[in-house]
Amino acid sequence: MFDLYDYRSMNKYKGSNLMAVFPAMDSLLHGIHELKKAGHENFLVYAPVPHHDIEHALHRPKSPVRVFTLVGALTGFCTGWALTIGSAMHYPLIVGGKPIISIPPFGVLAYILTILFGALATMIGFLINARLPQLHLAALYDERLSSDHYGIQVFCEEGEMKEFEKMLKQVGARSFKRETVANVGRDAISPK
Amino acid sequence: MPYKLSYSQTDLDLTQTLNKPKKWYYVAVILLGLGVAWGGGSWLHQILTGVGVSGKNNPVGWYLYIATFVFWVGIAHSGTLISAILFLFRVKWRAPVYRSAEAVTVFGLATAGLFPLLHMGRVWVFYWTLPYPQMGGLFPNFRSPLVWDVFAITTYLTVSSIFFLTGMVPDVAIIRDKAKGWRKKLYGFLAQGWQGTDNQWRHYTAAYVFLAALATPLVISVHSIVSWDFAMSIVPGWHSTIFAPYFVAGAIHSGLAMVILILIPMRNAFNLHQYITDHHLESLAKFLLFTATVVGFAYLIELFIAWYSHNPWEQAIFLYRAFGDYWFAFWALFVCNLVIPQLFWFKRFRRSIPFLVFVSIAVTIGMWFERFTIIVTSLAHEYIPFAWGLPSLTWSETGIVVGSFCWFFFLFLIFAKTLPVVSMWEVKEQLEPPMSGKK
Repeated sequence: MFDLYDYRSMNKYKGSNLMAVFPAMDSLLHGIHELKKAGHENFLVYAPVPHHDIEHALHRPKSPVRVFTLVGALTGFCTGWALTIGSAMHYPLIVGGKPIISIPPFGVLAYILTILFGALATMIGFLINARLPQLHLAALYDERLSSDHYGIQVFCEEGEMKEFEKMLKQVGARSFKRETVANVGRDAISPK
Repeated sequence: MPYKLSYSQTDLDLTQTLNKPKKWYYVAVILLGLGVAWGGGSWLHQILTGVGVSGKNNPVGWYLYIATFVFWVGIAHSGTLISAILFLFRVKWRAPVYRSAEAVTVFGLATAGLFPLLHMGRVWVFYWTLPYPQMGGLFPNFRSPLVWDVFAITTYLTVSSIFFLTGMVPDVAIIRDKAKGWRKKLYGFLAQGWQGTDNQWRHYTAAYVFLAALATPLVISVHSIVSWDFAMSIVPGWHSTIFAPYFVAGAIHSGLAMVILILIPMRNAFNLHQYITDHHLESLAKFLLFTATVVGFAYLIELFIAWYSHNPWEQAIFLYRAFGDYWFAFWALFVCNLVIPQLFWFKRFRRSIPFLVFVSIAVTIGMWFERFTIIVTSLAHEYIPFAWGLPSLTWSETGIVVGSFCWFFFLFLIFAKTLPVVSMWEVKEQLEPPMSGKK
């Protein structure tokens, strides 16, 4: 349902990685293209805002959050009917001459709980899949990345680092940070 | 592209709203705090003395508390309309105004939610309205629209709060990355570790669309359910099939007026003219004109149905509304909600800031009078003349109503200085991204 592989191994990555920071989005797109051309898919992209060009360049799978929404909404719908019908059967008191199981008014509750549970499940789905909340940011996180810079975090062998650095520098990366052993945070695994 | 700004300039402009406040801010917070204290004191007096200190009586058991409750739920509607519905329709002018509109929703509901509690004789047993197993065999009657209301308002508050807070996460991360000291820790906690990775954005944008899609039917359903609190009864003036759409339109009408009323001083105080432009305010004014027309149509249809139905009770109540004890409220609502906004047909008025403020205040007053008229006149003049009666205005009830307005603006002022009032990431989304220009 969600990226199970990532989820299980999210804190286990101990390998080397490289953060390349780009001042421009077109350079970032070139960087993604070059990495893919070299057959290296194990990297994460950091951006201050989402952009269709980045999505197209990365070609990641659709977010599984929608499954959470659907399951949550259906659970809410069933809970609404179960709560109203169940309690009416449990306290069988005729009010205003209406049947014990009054479908139209109970439908209102089912409708509301569909939305409530759907929204809660959406939020939970987002938090699980986006690996939030996180106590620590990635060690190589750069504070410019939330403002007006872009980043590519490449997960690779220590020996490959120089090669990737050269490749990304050529397409416009301006600064680099390296990490060799330490835990690099939950997002350090590329999505499948 | 509506803006000619850079990403970094946008961050700079929109985070300066969090700088150390000026004197006027502290003065406003203290004055509003005093108003809240007056309201709180009045409530305490009511709890200690009994609900009789409010002006409601028999037959007018629903008076200012319920009228103000419906008013605040209505105010809460434009936020979700602007943030969710306009998002789904990809309306670009929503980006700089939706955060404040969402705040209006959340704080409007936080205010509205107090009124059913204020209205209760024994507020300490408010939890009896919730479904939980207990020895006394007491359980909510799910056929009652009042119970639907408990669920609808709670759900609306929950969903709009989730939507509000989720939308803020990337912006809070920007503040975290610029802040130092205890502020960095605070915003770091609020950002929950957001880093803007492609994974996070992928799930975030998906969740945001689904939250918007789930919040949209709530805009329609919540005020429909509030209207059924009245329409499901057989009280003349209430028992009407048009109540649901009539209430929803009225809710959006009043909410838009409140959003304009909040945006204009906020734009001036924080110097946000580049972001909240006259074009944005004009778009809101056009929307207000549309809702004024829908609301006006509903008013006239109500009168038509009373005449056409040949129902003497229905006719009597509308004559009473127009020429009875509360005639001023009836005519005020017509003038404020329908007539005055018609001037927005002219661009000159839509572009005039003083006029925008004037119309918004008029609509806010008019919409409160609308709720007052519907609720009080119908109860005061029901079927049997023997049971007719008028409520009285008391200091306690007035204090609570005034206190609720102070509470709402107090919450907004606190929000305006602690969290970004304009969505930075969505404004940036509309800008040209930084490019090197190399091929």
